[in-house]
Amino acid sequence: MSLYWAIQWRRNEGLGALFLVLAGFLILYAILFPGILSIGGAGRFVQNWFPMALVAVAQAVIMLTGGIDLSIGAMVGLGSVVAATSMGGAFGIAGGTAATLGMGAAVGAAVGVIVSIGRYPAIIVTLATSFIIGGAALLILPRPGGAIPPELSEFLAGDHPTAVLMLILLILGWKLYQATPLGMGLVAGGDNPIGAYRSGVATRTARIFAYALSGLLTACAGLYVAAQTGSGDPVIGQPFTLAAIAAAVLGGVSFLGGQGTLRGALAGSLLMSVLINVMFFMNLPPVAQYVVQGLIIVITVALPQLKRMLRRIA
Amino acid sequence: MADDRVLLSAAGISKSFFGNPVLRDVSIALAAGRIHALLGENGAGKSTLINILSGALPPNGGTITIAGQTLPALRPATARGFGIAVVQQELSLMPHLSIAENIALGAAPKRFGLIDYGAVKERVTAIARETGITEPLDLPVNKLALGRRQMVEIAKALFRNPKVLILDEPTSSLSAHDVAILVGLIRKLKGQGLAILYISHRLNEILDFCDHVTVLKDGALTADRPLAGMDAQGLVRLMVGRDPNDLFPPFRSSARDELVLALQNFRTAAVSGIDLKLRRGEILGLGGLVGQGQEDFLLGLYGAAEAAADRFEAGDAKAPFRDVMAANRAGLAYVPADRKKEGLLLPHSIDLNLLLPSLARSSARMFRKRDAERALTESLAAQLSIRGDRKRPVQALSGGNQQKVALAKWLPLSPSILLLNDPTRGVDVATKREIYLALQAMAAEGKAVLLLSSDTPELVHLCDRVAVFHKGRIAALLDHAAASEEAIVGAALGVNHGVAA
Repeated sequence: MSLYWAIQWRRNEGLGALFLVLAGFLILYAILFPGILSIGGAGRFVQNWFPMALVAVAQAVIMLTGGIDLSIGAMVGLGSVVAATSMGGAFGIAGGTAATLGMGAAVGAAVGVIVSIGRYPAIIVTLATSFIIGGAALLILPRPGGAIPPELSEFLAGDHPTAVLMLILLILGWKLYQATPLGMGLVAGGDNPIGAYRSGVATRTARIFAYALSGLLTACAGLYVAAQTGSGDPVIGQPFTLAAIAAAVLGGVSFLGGQGTLRGALAGSLLMSVLINVMFFMNLPPVAQYVVQGLIIVITVALPQLKRMLRRIA
Repeated sequence: MADDRVLLSAAGISKSFFGNPVLRDVSIALAAGRIHALLGENGAGKSTLINILSGALPPNGGTITIAGQTLPALRPATARGFGIAVVQQELSLMPHLSIAENIALGAAPKRFGLIDYGAVKERVTAIARETGITEPLDLPVNKLALGRRQMVEIAKALFRNPKVLILDEPTSSLSAHDVAILVGLIRKLKGQGLAILYISHRLNEILDFCDHVTVLKDGALTADRPLAGMDAQGLVRLMVGRDPNDLFPPFRSSARDELVLALQNFRTAAVSGIDLKLRRGEILGLGGLVGQGQEDFLLGLYGAAEAAADRFEAGDAKAPFRDVMAANRAGLAYVPADRKKEGLLLPHSIDLNLLLPSLARSSARMFRKRDAERALTESLAAQLSIRGDRKRPVQALSGGNQQKVALAKWLPLSPSILLLNDPTRGVDVATKREIYLALQAMAAEGKAVLLLSSDTPELVHLCDRVAVFHKGRIAALLDHAAASEEAIVGAALGVNHGVAA
């Protein structure tokens, strides 16, 4: 496996600055709010960050294929609604969880089929499906309601390290995924679709799988948010669409596809999470985060150009 | 061709794109242990033939025989299954994946559903040694220089243990060192019984180590024979020579003494050391293989690519133009090769397309004058014989008529220098002749024409002089009398033809 890890290690290149900035912010945060250094405080902090981490990874997967997902926020809403309305059924918590995750994977796969077989631009397809998904969530629960069983809320978002464990599982699962032909096909198909196809990579399957995985992760984020609040809310996901893009872009995931890492997306989402917390404690109005996230996307996209201009002047 | 050593053969292959025949009744047989050269000018149909042999394109007619099966067409997966591997020109690599992953991509050994990186490493290491790849195998391919990427392409093809290996201009970006490695490798593979198809413009390479040659000209076969006893001049003769068929109007020179353009050591990113003088009424051809800097030279002149020069004189201008507007004001007009993307607004009417360059000038009066516009477009259409309703969208026209519109729209600005980038590519014969007549008429009016063309006979029959580009420099500047097809193609291929090179 040493070749695999050597290849994976190479992908840290270009992320150094991000990791440094992130470390700086975390230290600053710890100085401002020393509470985070306790086990309970750290746990709550991770729980706070966890849904953001999930949607950032979900967005990164789609961006690796060369697409972009504008339906992430809607899917978080639908995930929370499905979770909050299905847990009371005959199959209980297990049935509700399966229903939520299955819905996410199925809807994601359907979008993936449209994008890869119909060859339509992901930005258009996911813009349309964001309204379909958002509308479906509102049809199921026109206003916040439903319920998450308290024991599930306690397990996921109570005083347990569940979120930390799930993050570790996510990282391990990702390493496994990247070592499969599907995982290599994800990167290869986004990097050079024609070349990958001609090399015999199952680009279509890899792409559909990526969309299904992304849908699953997003629905999972919806379930987690519902567990945090104890009920379902069809519009709770809205801020996540922009935040997921900003976090992924911040994490070095390229809009052009084929370039990006899980560690980057996680670091980007963590930085975003810290930023939002800091802005909250600075008493800035909540909508200010949209301005910041939008700016982050524009600046990150313009960065290579700016660097080139600076080099020419120097 | 009852040779039982033939691994892959194609018989009577024909293919056309949008009604333009690209291959006509071409047959080829690749035999085990033989290095087979495929030769032809740009646009002779070499790439199309490779694509058909590797399953990337289906032919319109003919059959392909492989492993005893005769099929109407191959699919990429079937071709791979039969052991056909193609070394593309840097097309198939994933820039962000490592060397090892690129080499193994799509054919990586697996264990428990996972890619067996241990086995990948073992096999890639062996192939890397053979192909002279010394870089760490975990290095992303985008960190490699172009020539090194080409070696990765070759390693990638070998990873699949091919029986038939097709190499499409593998040496065009290689250093001499890597060429030597590649030639040694090809000879070794020949010894192992592979059938090798080798496409190259380097005649000395072909004469050096190929056994058999197939020559294509305008999509038809002109030779299929052993190479023994052939020389470079003989090969060039097989690639050129066409019955002009009254296609070209008789040559007449309208060149006058007055200079419109003088360049000394003109250079852009892709060309350097260009010394050239252009006279009023002169048609100066730009020839050479595709991608030798001719296009960049035109764009540099036109202010669309960065350029510099020791001396630059075009009318009042004493330095290369900084942008297209400046070039237009100084009397330059450029007609791009890709008329659909760069030259025309396809969904809009012929009238509007013809008016576009003039609109900027008449806008001083704020409002458009429909009558004047109609008179203008009518006269332009007459000059270039653009027939029919001019309210039709340009996309309704044939390629040739679109080209006439792309050319005609500049005339109202009465440019003194016309820069034409392959104006007859994909144009039917009748329209070609009309374009040639129009060019001669413009030259007679005193306009200077720089005619970049991938069609060598055009350069021979229309141009006062021909500058042949090779590796970003003018390899030969031929007078009309000296500019034979053989001289032009010879200079483009770097064959010394007894002409000033």
